[in-house]
Amino acid sequence: MNKHLIGAAIAAALSLSLAAQDTVFVKGGKVVTVSGPVIENGVVAIANGRITKVGPADQVEVPWDAQVIDATGKVVMPTWVLAHSQGSLRSANENMQNVPYVSVADAIDPSSTFFEDCLRNGVGTIHILPGNATLLGGIGMIVRPAGRTVEDMAVRTRTGLKLSLQAQGGARLQQVRRMRRALEEIREYLADFDRRKAEFDKEKAAGAIPADKQWTEEYDRLKKPGIDLVQKKLKGWMYVPSSAEVDEALRLAEELELAIVVGQDVEKAASKLARFKAPVVLDENLEYWTRDEETEAERKVCTAKVLADAGVGFALSLGAGGPTSYPWWQLATCVRNGVDRKVAIESLTTVPAQMLGIGDDVGSISEGKFGNLQILSGDPLAATTWVETVLLEGKVAYERSKDQRLQYLLKAPEPAPAKPANTGNGGD
Amino acid sequence: MKAHTIACVLALAAAVAAQDEIHAYKAARIWPAGGSPVEQGVLVVVGGKVAAIGGADTAIPEGAKVHDLGSAVITPGLVDASWQRTGSPEDRNEQSSEVTPHMRAIDAWDPLDPQVVRARKGGVTTLHHTPGNRAVIGGLGVVVKTTPASAPTTLLKDDVSLRITMGAEPSMGNRAIRGGSVDSIYYRRPTTRMGVVWEVRRAFSKAQDYQQRTIAEGSPADPAMEVLVRALQGKVTVITTARAEQDIRTALRLADEFGYKTAIDEGVESHVMAEELAAAGATVMVGAPSADRVSGAGGSDGAEPRWSTLSRLATAGVPFVVTTGGNAAALPLAQEAMFAVRFGLTPELALDAVTLRPARLLGVDDRVGSLAPGKDADFVIWSTDPFDPTAVATAVHVNGTRIQD
Repeated sequence: MNKHLIGAAIAAALSLSLAAQDTVFVKGGKVVTVSGPVIENGVVAIANGRITKVGPADQVEVPWDAQVIDATGKVVMPTWVLAHSQGSLRSANENMQNVPYVSVADAIDPSSTFFEDCLRNGVGTIHILPGNATLLGGIGMIVRPAGRTVEDMAVRTRTGLKLSLQAQGGARLQQVRRMRRALEEIREYLADFDRRKAEFDKEKAAGAIPADKQWTEEYDRLKKPGIDLVQKKLKGWMYVPSSAEVDEALRLAEELELAIVVGQDVEKAASKLARFKAPVVLDENLEYWTRDEETEAERKVCTAKVLADAGVGFALSLGAGGPTSYPWWQLATCVRNGVDRKVAIESLTTVPAQMLGIGDDVGSISEGKFGNLQILSGDPLAATTWVETVLLEGKVAYERSKDQRLQYLLKAPEPAPAKPANTGNGGD
Repeated sequence: MKAHTIACVLALAAAVAAQDEIHAYKAARIWPAGGSPVEQGVLVVVGGKVAAIGGADTAIPEGAKVHDLGSAVITPGLVDASWQRTGSPEDRNEQSSEVTPHMRAIDAWDPLDPQVVRARKGGVTTLHHTPGNRAVIGGLGVVVKTTPASAPTTLLKDDVSLRITMGAEPSMGNRAIRGGSVDSIYYRRPTTRMGVVWEVRRAFSKAQDYQQRTIAEGSPADPAMEVLVRALQGKVTVITTARAEQDIRTALRLADEFGYKTAIDEGVESHVMAEELAAAGATVMVGAPSADRVSGAGGSDGAEPRWSTLSRLATAGVPFVVTTGGNAAALPLAQEAMFAVRFGLTPELALDAVTLRPARLLGVDDRVGSLAPGKDADFVIWSTDPFDPTAVATAVHVNGTRIQD
C-alpha cells in the first residue's frame, strides 16, 4: 500500500506544480486519437492537466479569450509511451546481480540529454528500469521527460522489479538456475520468518514469553522487493534474451506476475509467446538477418511482423542512438515489414500504457486522460515529419522553434573565415 | 555453395535469354536520376539495355512484354561509392607497408559475401569496393555489379580509384621505436598526422622522379610507382578519406601540390569549407547520414557532424555523394538517402547522390547511374517512393534481368 501513498503524494504535489488553471485548446489539426476515429480539423481541450474535450471544430466551442495552440495543417497525436528503457541511467546495471533493493530513482539523471531527445521525438512517458545484465536488478519507475528532479519527473514509483534471464558470463542454464535459486531463497526466508513468528505466538500462548511482549521483527528491507515479487504484489519485468529462454520465462510467469521483455532473436518462440496472453516489449532492433545453414540463403526477419502474425501483442522500444532511436523510424519499420499501421501506432501508445497500468492516464487522446499531446508537422510515419510541439499535462514542454541543439545541427554553418594561403613546404 | 552455383547458372541462362527480349514497365512514377520524375512512366528495355523512357505516351515496341506495375515506383539501381562491407577489415587493409598503391581491391572481392546480397536486396546494383583506411595509400578500388556470384557481368571497371587516407587512422596502433627488440610490425612510421602526410609527399615525390627517370632510362617497372604515376596523370580517380576540417584541407593541399584531383571520402566536416571544395571541384562523399545524433556523438578523427552538411554542399555547388561508408551501423543505401531528404535535400538531389553522381565520380556513368537510352537496364521497383520509410524494393533488375532473391 505504501507505494500507492507515495504515488498519490507525488501526484498531488505535481498537480499543484504542473497543472494549468486555464484551459488550453489545441485546434485546427488532424487529431489522431488512437483510441477513436481520426478527426480532421479537430479541437482538444485540456484543463488542469487532463483532456476535457475532444471533437471536430464545429462541435467544441473555443472561448474568444482562451489559450489556443494552433495546429492547423499539422497532426495531433498522443505522446509516445515507452514500456521499457534504461534512458539516462548513469550505469544501468549494479555490479552485483541479486540487488532487488536498488532503485532507478537513485540513478535517473534529470539533466541527461536522453530526456531532451525524448521530447524532440514526441515521447511523453518513459518506464525506466535497470539494465539487462543482472538477475534481480532493482526497482523501476515511470517518469515524464520534464522536470529538474526525479520527484518532479515521477509519474509512478515502484512500478516493478527488473529480472533478467540473460547469461552473465556463464552458461544460459546457469542463469536460469540462479534465478530459480534466488526466488527459492526468498521463499525459504519467508517460510523461516513465518515459522519463527508461529513459534513466538505459540510460546507466548504457553506463557514462556511475557504477554506484553510483541513480535517486532519486520521483513528484511533488502529482501522486501523480492518478497513482494513472490507474493505477486510487485510486477516482475523479465528480460528474455532469445527464443531459448522463452519456455523458462513462461514457467516463471505461472508463479509470478510478469511482463516479458524480449531480445532480438525470438522468431522461433512466437507461438509460445502467444500462450502468454499478454503483450511483450520488443527489442529496439526490429529487423535482423538469419542464414539458412543448409542453403546459405539469408532472410530478413522482422520481430514485430513475426509476433503480429502469431497473435502476440507488443510494445516497441527505442534505441540509444541512430535510426532506432526515432519513433517514426520504428513505426515505419513495422509497416515496411507488413505490420498493420494501426497495430504499429498502438505499440507506442495504448499497448505500453496498458502494460504499465496507466491506460487511464496516457496512450490516447480521450476525455479524462493526461493532456499529453505531440503536434507533428506531418504524417507520423514520414521521413520528413518533425515534432513541432509537445504538451505534457497541458503544459508546453517542447517547441521545435526553440530547440537550440536541433537548430544547431540543421543550420547552415557560417562560411569559415579566410585562411592564409598554402603554407605547406612542398615536400622535403 | 551448391545453391550459389545453381543461382549462377540460372542467372547466366536468364542473362542469355534477356539478350533479345523486349520489356516495357509501366509504373506510377519513374525517377530516371539527373532530372525530375516522370509520372505514369514507361521504361522500355531491349536486350538488357534501356531503349526508351518517358510518360504514358511512350511508344511500346511490338512484341514487348508489358509489365503493369500499378502504384509501384522505379528508380535506377543504386550505386554505393564507398563500399567497405565485403570481407573482414583484415582483408581490405594491407599492413606490410604504409604505402601500397598497387594493392587491388578486386583481389579481395567476394561476390558471394552475404553483405553483397543484402545490398542488392536493398536496391544497390553497383558497388565501389575499395581498400580500407589503415594504410596511408591503400590501393586501387574496383567497380562491380551486385549480380549473383561470378556472373561475367560482375566486373564493371577495374582499378578505377586510388585510396589515400588522412587523419589518425593510418597511424593507429603504430609505435615509435625506442630501443629494445622490435617484435611487431607496428613499430613503424607514421605515428602522427604529420607522418601520415609526409608518407603521401614522399610517395608522390618519388613517383614524380620515377616518371622522369623511366622516360629517360627505361628502367624496369615498379608497380607501386606505376599506379602513382597514373594518379598524377589523372588516369585514376583519387579518393582521399578526410573527416575533420584540417584533414580535408590537407587533402586538398596535397592534391594541389602534386597536381592531381581528389574526391573527399567521409567528409564529415566538409560543411565548414563548402565554397573551397566547390572551387577545387572536389566531389565529397558523405557516409551514413542516419548515424548522426542531435545529442553528443562526434565522429571519428574528432570531426563534428551536422545534419545540414548535405544541403550546405548543395547550396555551394559541391557535387556530393551519399554512401554507406565505413559505418557498420549504416542503413541500406536508399534509406541513407532518405535521411538526407529528412535533413533538407530535395528527393531529386538525394537520388542523384546515390545513383548518377557516384557513377560519374567513378567514370561509369556511360553504363549505370541513370535510366537513359543506351545504358544498362539496372533498375529497382519500389512499393512506393523510395524516400518513404515504409518503401521496400520489390524487384531488382541488373542488365534487364530480374534477380531472384
